[in-house]
Amino acid sequence: MTDITCTLAGDREHTLIAYLYNDIDPAERAVFDAHLDGCARCRRDLASLGGVRRRLARWQPEMPKLSALGSPHAAASPEAPAAGPWYRQMPAWAQVAAALLVLGVSAGLANLDVRYDANGLSIHTGWSRPAPVASRPTPVNEVRPVNMVNQDQLAALEQRLRTEIHAAPAPRAFSTNDAETLRRVRALIDESEKREQRELALRVAQVLQNVDAQRQADLSKIDRNLGLIQNSTGVEILKQREMVNYLMRVSQRQ
Amino acid sequence: MTWTDEELVARSIGGDADSFNELVLRWERPIYALAYRTIGREEDARDVCQETFLRAFRALPGFRGQAKFSSWLYRIALNLCRDWIRRERRAPVVQPPEDVDLIELAAAAEPSESIEDLVARRDLAQSVERAMARLPEEQRTAIVLKEYHGLTFQEIADLMNCPLSTVKTRLYQGLTVLRRELAKEPLV
Repeated sequence: MTDITCTLAGDREHTLIAYLYNDIDPAERAVFDAHLDGCARCRRDLASLGGVRRRLARWQPEMPKLSALGSPHAAASPEAPAAGPWYRQMPAWAQVAAALLVLGVSAGLANLDVRYDANGLSIHTGWSRPAPVASRPTPVNEVRPVNMVNQDQLAALEQRLRTEIHAAPAPRAFSTNDAETLRRVRALIDESEKREQRELALRVAQVLQNVDAQRQADLSKIDRNLGLIQNSTGVEILKQREMVNYLMRVSQRQ
Repeated sequence: MTWTDEELVARSIGGDADSFNELVLRWERPIYALAYRTIGREEDARDVCQETFLRAFRALPGFRGQAKFSSWLYRIALNLCRDWIRRERRAPVVQPPEDVDLIELAAAAEPSESIEDLVARRDLAQSVERAMARLPEEQRTAIVLKEYHGLTFQEIADLMNCPLSTVKTRLYQGLTVLRRELAKEPLV
């Protein structure tokens, strides 16, 4: 039925939409009201678009627990305390380098002497025995530690690593840190608990409703049965009374 | 005392963190709803919502009040949604229809709502969601802003950087497509 002619002056679609959403100039509205009286096509279009709007109004997305979003202030503020210990903010390579550094420095300070000879593997520190003399002849089976570093090299390494660690770019303030993860997990747990509580409440309500319905059915059944029993009892009493009357009449005749 | 958005913005710029938190609480639901209806995916809508407030917080010192705070937020959120759609290079996601999980449904039920009503409500929402997903981005955004956020034609035109007449055309065309698409779906 789109062949019905519409005589509305101007842009029909725009006027229709403005009227539909009530976002229209009063004068224009009055003109369109008058037009609607005589235009079946506009009335039909208006009605069908109104129907679409009513269906759209039924679309309400379920809202998640948005407090889980948290405030960006906490994450973005430069004053916000860093989440987790400081070393968690370091890059992985820096953490590995720091661990090696600590190991190397410790070994150096302890003046470690590692030997593998006929007596097997032996490790001594410089504090438990004097450091070996450089000119001492090397036994055939003795395995000297390869690439043994001295104190100066370790100190240089330490200094270089410290410089690199300090020069490394600071981690982003708004990275996925532990606090954020924890907050989200807690929010999810809260949401899950609330959902379970609501589910439980609904189930309990349904069970109570079922129990009540069953109780009503049982009561009416009992009532009915009692009525039947009363009826049958009444009938029995009536029969017995008739029998007694009959017997009395018979005995009186005799 | 209830502060207006503009007052809360001014206090936030002055360093009052609670005022910005109040703005977040006030606007997070509309912004999430806008993002969800535009991109159709819950997790991404949450991300867009969070990123919107993060960007707003960072840009707050530069906010001069030339527009309403809500319009400013909507603009940030819409830009993020547009980025998401371009990045994903696809139309909004419609969650695949799944078997009805009565337990999950029961959890979302209103106390006075029967399971049958709940299933019907969900079916209707899904049919609208599917129909909306078939709209071009511009028409969908115009309808979401008008239908669910009650913006005027002029406000939508400002947000979408287009003439007012274009907004009306997008609305008319979008509603017409929806009418056709929804006619295919059984009315619940």
